[in-house]
Amino acid sequence: MEPIIEVKNLVKVFHSRRRKITAVNDVSFDVFKGEIFGMIGPNGAGKSTTFSMLTTLIKPTSGSIKVAGFDVENHDYKIRPLIGIVPQKLSLYPLLTARENLELMGNLYHVPKKVMEEKIDYYLKLVGLEASADRYTGGFSGGMKQRLSVIAAVLHDPQILFWDEPSTGLDPQTRNVIWKLARKFNEEGRTLVFTTHYMEEADNLCDRVAVMDSGKMVALDNPERLKETTGSTNLEEVFVHFTGEEVRD
Amino acid sequence: MTIKTELKDSLIVAKKEFKILSRKKALIFPLFLFPIIMIVFFGYGMGGTVKDAPILIINDDAGRASSSLVQEIGGYTPKYDANPMFSVTYTKDMSQSEAESKIDAGIYKGALIIPQNYSDSIAKNESTTLTLLTDSSDTTTSGAIINALRQLLAKTGLVSLNIPSIYGDLEYLDFITPGVIALTVFMGCISSIGSAIAGEKENGTLVRMLMTPVSKRSVILGKTIYQLILQLARTVVLIFAAYLLVGFNMNGSWLAVALVLIVFTLSGVGIGIIMSSRAEDMESFIQLNMLVTMPSMFVTGVFFPLSSVPGWMRCIAYFLPLTYAIDAMRTIMIKGQGLSAISTDFIILTLFAIVTFTLGVHLFRREA
Repeated sequence: MEPIIEVKNLVKVFHSRRRKITAVNDVSFDVFKGEIFGMIGPNGAGKSTTFSMLTTLIKPTSGSIKVAGFDVENHDYKIRPLIGIVPQKLSLYPLLTARENLELMGNLYHVPKKVMEEKIDYYLKLVGLEASADRYTGGFSGGMKQRLSVIAAVLHDPQILFWDEPSTGLDPQTRNVIWKLARKFNEEGRTLVFTTHYMEEADNLCDRVAVMDSGKMVALDNPERLKETTGSTNLEEVFVHFTGEEVRD
Repeated sequence: MTIKTELKDSLIVAKKEFKILSRKKALIFPLFLFPIIMIVFFGYGMGGTVKDAPILIINDDAGRASSSLVQEIGGYTPKYDANPMFSVTYTKDMSQSEAESKIDAGIYKGALIIPQNYSDSIAKNESTTLTLLTDSSDTTTSGAIINALRQLLAKTGLVSLNIPSIYGDLEYLDFITPGVIALTVFMGCISSIGSAIAGEKENGTLVRMLMTPVSKRSVILGKTIYQLILQLARTVVLIFAAYLLVGFNMNGSWLAVALVLIVFTLSGVGIGIIMSSRAEDMESFIQLNMLVTMPSMFVTGVFFPLSSVPGWMRCIAYFLPLTYAIDAMRTIMIKGQGLSAISTDFIILTLFAIVTFTLGVHLFRREA
């Protein structure tokens, strides 16, 4: 299998109020082309920091990341058009309509106007937002905003999708839609990397799951094998097996 | 990334800003009304005391009467202040037009011309006339100069004052209008660029935008283009409103005003970005903003001349671009002077713009 993301000895250290915090501590892994790759771990495990580095938002302290063959250190501008990001914090302009939010994204990714309009119509319909296309997103429910954020990240036809906790705080119906979208985009040949706190979600969707704890990657395999090797019946037990029961700060 | 794409990207950002502004109905109204309210309220409600006003006395008379008058002027103190009101420079044989050009350049606030036969006339008990030129673009100071001299000259009863109006009949309102424009642009730039960035930081849209291939330069440039257009539009509306409401006369070139404001807006935007990069959220930004803009309202000479504030305040004023913008705006709009008269202000403003804008771009982090 061909790796599309190569992470080697990744370290990220933050300095905050004279405290040194090692958020990611010597992590190495590959993500293969066309797979759904999940990252789980307790709060503060380093998932979001890893995520931010993979998406070129912050630079590693040391180690290397290659996304689609490009180094994040020097070629972040080549990586950005190839990836589509759904951030954890919903980030839509409340005073723009759904369509205008999508158009802004499309424009920033330089999607040709005609192609963009066709895609916007297609995706709005796909996620059931066509009737709300011309409403301000400020009045949208959490589920509507999340569906919009997900399609805003595919307008430029990216090879790799990054979703940061895509289903946190959503109702089961919306979560179901998000899972369907994940499978659909994956079937179209896109690689999907996502973080989640829902073990069921990771179990259902992922080809492989990475477990992170205290800045380290403590396990990486497909969900079935993880269950087998730890003698667990579900991923929840796997999670506790690797990360313990202690509540994190 | 080529400059062309960066420019194109920045226009996308600017267009978005305008679209959002057009939907903030509750913002558009005060945006344009605020400066007009400032002019009306402050214009009718305020004044100030004057000290150390630089004046020129051109004494072509060698007699006793003139030297005692000159001495009196030098030692004159206003009613409520123990400090001398004037800082006097003495000369002779200077033409009226030469004196006027010194006032144009802002070197003196007033010039008193004592004619050759002054002492003779007084000795003979004949009535005589002195010419007093004042910088009427600074209505507070010029009014104070005129009053003080009238008081001094009333003692003899023989001397009358001829006060040619260099810039037309001006009132306090004329004095504050250019200042209020500059102040509005300054406060407008800082608060709207800063709150836009701090606000977008808070709601995550800024980070989202920076996840796209758009460079941070384009994002900042887009926001700056939006500010430039917005602030120039506000200025035009304000000048017309001042004309209609208080009969303000625009004596200078619109182009020169636009040029000063463009450079000035860049420094405002730069300061706004610097401040927002220090603030984690909207609330901290608002407080930081108050700290910078409120004092600048009072020390830079918007409502009363810089010459009427204490020395330590004047020192602060020299570190604020607003001071130079106000001076340049007054020189253009009231005195009707061109770019050569404001070259010093313009150079300083340009330096401010380069420094603050560069620092702003530098401090504006992608992961912000």
